[in-house]
Amino acid sequence: MTEARDEVDSRDRLLLKRMAAGDRVALETLYRAYHGGLARFLSRLTRRADLIEEIINDCFWIAWRKADGFHGDSRVSTWLMGIAYRCGLKALRQRGDQPVDDYALREGRGPSHDPDEDRQLRDWLGKALEHLSADQRVVIELVYGVGNSLEEVATITQAPVGTVKARLFHARVKLRNVLPVLAGELPAQREKLS
Amino acid sequence: MINETNAGKDCPRAWEIMPWVLQATAPPEQGEWLMHHLAQCEACSTEFAQQSRLRSALALPADVAVDVNAGLKHLFERLDAPEPETLPDRLHSGSRLTRALAVAVLVQAIGIGVLGARLWSEQTPQYRTLSQPALLEPAGAIRVAPDASMTLANWDKLLHDFDLRVVDGPNAVGAYTVVVKGSPATSARLLQELRASRNIRLAEPVGNAP
Repeated sequence: MTEARDEVDSRDRLLLKRMAAGDRVALETLYRAYHGGLARFLSRLTRRADLIEEIINDCFWIAWRKADGFHGDSRVSTWLMGIAYRCGLKALRQRGDQPVDDYALREGRGPSHDPDEDRQLRDWLGKALEHLSADQRVVIELVYGVGNSLEEVATITQAPVGTVKARLFHARVKLRNVLPVLAGELPAQREKLS
Repeated sequence: MINETNAGKDCPRAWEIMPWVLQATAPPEQGEWLMHHLAQCEACSTEFAQQSRLRSALALPADVAVDVNAGLKHLFERLDAPEPETLPDRLHSGSRLTRALAVAVLVQAIGIGVLGARLWSEQTPQYRTLSQPALLEPAGAIRVAPDASMTLANWDKLLHDFDLRVVDGPNAVGAYTVVVKGSPATSARLLQELRASRNIRLAEPVGNAP
């Protein structure tokens, strides 16, 4: 897993170098590689497709400009995710919006072409995430969805590792209590660890 | 199944490492330990299954449709545009700098003005005592030196009779500088009359005065 991520990071660093030299093909490659992940990540902050596209483009506009300033202190993916997160919060602030608190909102959602199983899984996830705050959703997405470590999440969200750890813990406790119920199961010994 | 004593020790540890085992970033021995624990603990096994399902759900593509090709097209259009995003910022910061410089110059000018006025007022006092040296003798001035027997009453009478006003003195030799009230000129006759007056030792015009 780590080796695979290292390989991806090596590829991304080469793309950044080419971008620093003005190579738009490299920019397009990186854009396509991260578009899906960023869109999914940002969908935890807003449900508006136009805003998500704008934030992704803000992120890559900055990446294009600052590609030569990337010193490799983190993975390229962490760097990009951090830019996207800050652009997302800024875009929401400028519009006077808050990160979606009612995760059940479905405005801007495209028609579903998912197989039944995926759709059920999606609905189950959507209902579960309704119980989390925006900060908790972001941490859950980054840890379970993207596969980031606590330190990487701290870098992306510019929060102390302890804060990230606490957010993850509380999010997991909430999910442990609601996921079985949402799945139609009884929560098995759910109070044991709380 | 695991007993309560072991659950008290092992379940929190299992809970702690589940996300990292799911990510496959935990050390292999931790993964093996967790699998062993799950085989004995139904609660943790259920929890792990829920988290695996959560991970699967989060791995699904975004449920908000965002067109990658349209986004990329818009990004390239933006890169080709004449930097509309930075231009206003630059202009804004430029105008702010100009305003700040103007304010600084204005404050500096006011400061210089205040200091200048203060220095000017210090150099040109609005009053002067007779014991201070005269900066400039007025036109038609006469230096008059009374002798030691001149009384104050006689001195006042003399000034009154000749319509004189003391503008300076006494100097080191006891002489006063006087002028005729309302007249910048001094006549030779006035000088002669002053010299002839009682208790006057000396009466001489100052500078080029006759």
